[in-house]
Amino acid sequence: MSDNSFSPKILGFLCNWCCYAAADAAGVSRFQYPPNLRTVRVMCTGRVDPSFVLKGFLEGADAIFTGG
Amino acid sequence: MGKAIKQREGAVMILGAGIAGIQAALDMTELGYYVYLVEKSPAVGGVMAQLDKTFPTNDCSL
Amino acid sequence: MVTNADLIALEGKPGNFTAKLNIRPRYIDADACTACGLCTQYCPKHHSDQYNEGLSVTRPIHIDYAQAVPATYYIDPSSCMFLQHDTCQICVPVCQSHAINFNQKPEARDLKVGAVILSPGFGKIAPETLEKFGYGTHPDIVTAYEYERMTTASGPFLGEIKCFSDGRHPKSMAFIQCVGSRDLGCDNGYCSSVCCMYAIKEALVTKEHDPEVDITIYYMDIRTQGKDFDAARERAENIGIKFVRAKVADVTPWDNHLKLTYSTLDGQHKFDSHDMVILSVGLESPKDARNIADITNIELNKYDFCKTETFTPLKTSQNGIVVAGAFQGPKDIPESATQASGAAAIAATILNKQRGKGTDTKEYPDELSVTDEDEVRIGVFVCHCGINISSVVDCPEVATDAGKMENVTYYTENLYSCSQDAQEQIKQTIKDKKLNRVVIAACSPRTHEPLFQETLKDAGLNRNLFEMVNIRDQCSWVHANEPEAATDKSKDLVRMAVSKAAHIQPLPEQTVPVTPKALVLGGGVAGMTAALSLADQGFESVLVEKSSSIGGNLQNLKNTLAGETVGGFLKTLTAKVKKSSKIDVVTDAALARTSGFIGNFNSVIESGKGRKKQEQSFDHGVIIVATGGHEHRPDLYQLGKSKKVVTQQELEAKLAGRAKSRAPNSIVMIQCAGSRGEDLNYCSKVCCNHAMKNILKIKEINPDSQIIVLYRDIRTYGFAEDAYLEARKKGVIFIPYEVDRKPVVTSKGTNVQVDFFDSIMQEDVSISPDLVTLSVGIVPDGTEELSKMLKLPVNANGFFLEAHVKLRPVEAAVDGVYICGLGHAPKPVEETIVQAQAAAAKAAMPLVKGFVTVDPIVSSVVQDDCIGCGICVSMCPYGAIIMEKVGKKRKAKTVSASCKACGICASRCPTFAISMGGFTNEQLISQIEAFGNKTADEKVEA
Repeated sequence: MSDNSFSPKILGFLCNWCCYAAADAAGVSRFQYPPNLRTVRVMCTGRVDPSFVLKGFLEGADAIFTGG
Repeated sequence: MGKAIKQREGAVMILGAGIAGIQAALDMTELGYYVYLVEKSPAVGGVMAQLDKTFPTNDCSL
Repeated sequence: MVTNADLIALEGKPGNFTAKLNIRPRYIDADACTACGLCTQYCPKHHSDQYNEGLSVTRPIHIDYAQAVPATYYIDPSSCMFLQHDTCQICVPVCQSHAINFNQKPEARDLKVGAVILSPGFGKIAPETLEKFGYGTHPDIVTAYEYERMTTASGPFLGEIKCFSDGRHPKSMAFIQCVGSRDLGCDNGYCSSVCCMYAIKEALVTKEHDPEVDITIYYMDIRTQGKDFDAARERAENIGIKFVRAKVADVTPWDNHLKLTYSTLDGQHKFDSHDMVILSVGLESPKDARNIADITNIELNKYDFCKTETFTPLKTSQNGIVVAGAFQGPKDIPESATQASGAAAIAATILNKQRGKGTDTKEYPDELSVTDEDEVRIGVFVCHCGINISSVVDCPEVATDAGKMENVTYYTENLYSCSQDAQEQIKQTIKDKKLNRVVIAACSPRTHEPLFQETLKDAGLNRNLFEMVNIRDQCSWVHANEPEAATDKSKDLVRMAVSKAAHIQPLPEQTVPVTPKALVLGGGVAGMTAALSLADQGFESVLVEKSSSIGGNLQNLKNTLAGETVGGFLKTLTAKVKKSSKIDVVTDAALARTSGFIGNFNSVIESGKGRKKQEQSFDHGVIIVATGGHEHRPDLYQLGKSKKVVTQQELEAKLAGRAKSRAPNSIVMIQCAGSRGEDLNYCSKVCCNHAMKNILKIKEINPDSQIIVLYRDIRTYGFAEDAYLEARKKGVIFIPYEVDRKPVVTSKGTNVQVDFFDSIMQEDVSISPDLVTLSVGIVPDGTEELSKMLKLPVNANGFFLEAHVKLRPVEAAVDGVYICGLGHAPKPVEETIVQAQAAAAKAAMPLVKGFVTVDPIVSSVVQDDCIGCGICVSMCPYGAIIMEKVGKKRKAKTVSASCKACGICASRCPTFAISMGGFTNEQLISQIEAFGNKTADEKVEA
């Protein structure tokens, strides 16, 4: 990987009812966005224990996204 | 094919298996009745199965 | 399900019909066919593919489309060489499962049924009508159906739009509206009610494909009267789709273009050239309408659609036979779905006494026990979704990659995982390979998880031993131009899911009993109809009305557009409601508060005033919201200031009176007064019909009356178009106005003056009519308070939102709550009645079932680990966790039926004593670890 093209690894926690649904809607509308996000579906972002976020960074995520 | 057909009480016949027929069939089943869904073509679905997207939200229709 | 079948006779009477069917042979044994498609590959004969509107070629032996149900091929006898000429038979030896059987004969079958629902749909406009617009003379003149298939990604051209003449991409396209509708030339005087919507949809889709393409829609009136439909029209206008009010005279070839000649309102003849012309063809009565009518003895209207009355919109002229969908009149999908549910409610009433007697309950095989000790055996299925996924993502690579993972015993790919044959294959694989976890990489679990979970149940697996990966909506569709990155992403997501899947455990199914009673809010025609329908199906309800008497808006109306009197109907309906032993009517009342969940609500009703005020509390299983709406009174056009300015409703009351001057000699009507962008942002759907009704009444009383209607679009959709034509025939003048040139009404003493621009004569006009009538809109009643109380979402205009606009049009987002009437959207009484019946059908479902199933992904407390701190109780937004005493200690406990599985409790619990079914710490942590794996690999590589 060359140095000038930083391609971050992002881990996302998506709420099933809003953000995950919105991500589906983005697909239906064929919006294009960078492919750097890896998602974990949760039934609500309330489920996201702070330890999950820390674990994500430990595992090498450059950023953590929570959408809910 | 000579299969013995059980005659059922509380049955309804729905003629036409497009969106209306299918929806009515699903609802009648949920309401506790036996449904004969009769369709003239080889598959159910009607015209809606031919549509790509639906108005106004442009959702997938299949 | 009986396909390939015709109804040939219907005998008997309601409750006891015998239907005689003729089942045509498929020439393929449905049980043996595996839908492998080999036969189609070998069949030597060509056959025009009707599923693709004849735009592509298939073979006589084929299946219409991959997701077709039943997933069995069939042979079309019209072009099969054996059936026509006794030759060939190549398919017989080709079929590996020996499913082809040319000895099949037509089969006669008798069905004993108590009721019949007719839903044969609609027919197509005759080719002669299309020829008027040059159809058939040039390949680039296509119908909207053909165009729909052309734009479809899985269609014959994979969604690439090209001119048939020379394969170029069209840069300029025209839609011609009202082809075969509103056209006396082909005896279709009615409006087809759907073409404006689909034309706008197709235009928007085209713009998505190619933003540069120039699109013009030639129309007489744009009829986007449905809920939130006008907003889509505006969106279309904003992205540059042109709308031209004109009648198209003809379309002729011109070089390699098409010349479209049209005349505009001001009488000018113009022409324009386009690369492609799309005909927005209307809906006709089904081809076999007369045949059906002969067999079932029902009456048809003059257009050969099923004849119904305004107040019984789903009843045919024969008892025991109901109608739903486009056969009742041209209509769109949500209307059809609503009618279907309404028809089900009526049929259910007819068959009420036999409920449950004829049904089989679906039996599932015993659930295999899966415990911690068992070896984890994961099956991974990667779906191509036709080409939706596989055109971007390298599916074989994703599958192979997953196959390398620990615990994965099997992996494969499917063309469409959701198709019936793939489902069967998955079931079989689960058994053969002894899988105890299933991962499917396909579309969104939000839409397809229930389907696959059902498959697992059929295969004897607990439905929670399933994990879905979304590589379509959130991958192939959004990274269409980066196939490699999308494949990487898919691989990562699948790996994360597999890791999670290794830790999933079976969860027990939970059920909660239902209180078989309904709460109906609103005593108008919607509420009354719904309560009565429930009563007829055997269920009690409490009907709450805020005013002192039931009846609602119908009390302000006198007659319908079709001529029926409202009073008589209303009297009968209210009498029935009052007499019913199953309906408890509470007037002067309102809902004070509600708690609980589907099947188990508790509500408090406040009734009476002052000292008589009282509260009553009762339990019920469902809620039907029929709170209605009322006439909007805009502060415009001198309404309320001049006695000579009235609303349509006021005019109707006046016309029903006896005053001599009730139908004055000169009247100006202004449509959309305060609607479509003024006080109200939407179209109220009924005002045009209301105006026609009053116009015809005026003309009946005073034929000499001069009536001018100033309008934006006349939206007399469906058969109401007849009334519009009638009004025109009677000499009423219709003049459109533009939004930036609205008419102006001023008071001059007791007189009123109307100034407007006459777009037909192209001049300013000023007149002083005897009366000005405003077509005002409809606003919903009290949706805001109720929205807060019941947690029901409303749209931007304050109307309640349905759970799904197309497929669940009367259900609210909250389980156990159903919506009908004006609180949902403005609509005529006919549609309100249908919607109320539909709401009653949907509401009866949990009541019939007697229990509700709780999604097993709810939280559960391991009480041994609980320290009784109560943080979870204070954090839970749904009141779904309570503290109880176990021995001497306080322990938390989940109320499963109230739990929405959000997991706030679990993430806050200091001792990790709360576990979320399907989303345990262990599962999520391993999912996150799997996310990390890849990064680790890359670091090694670098």
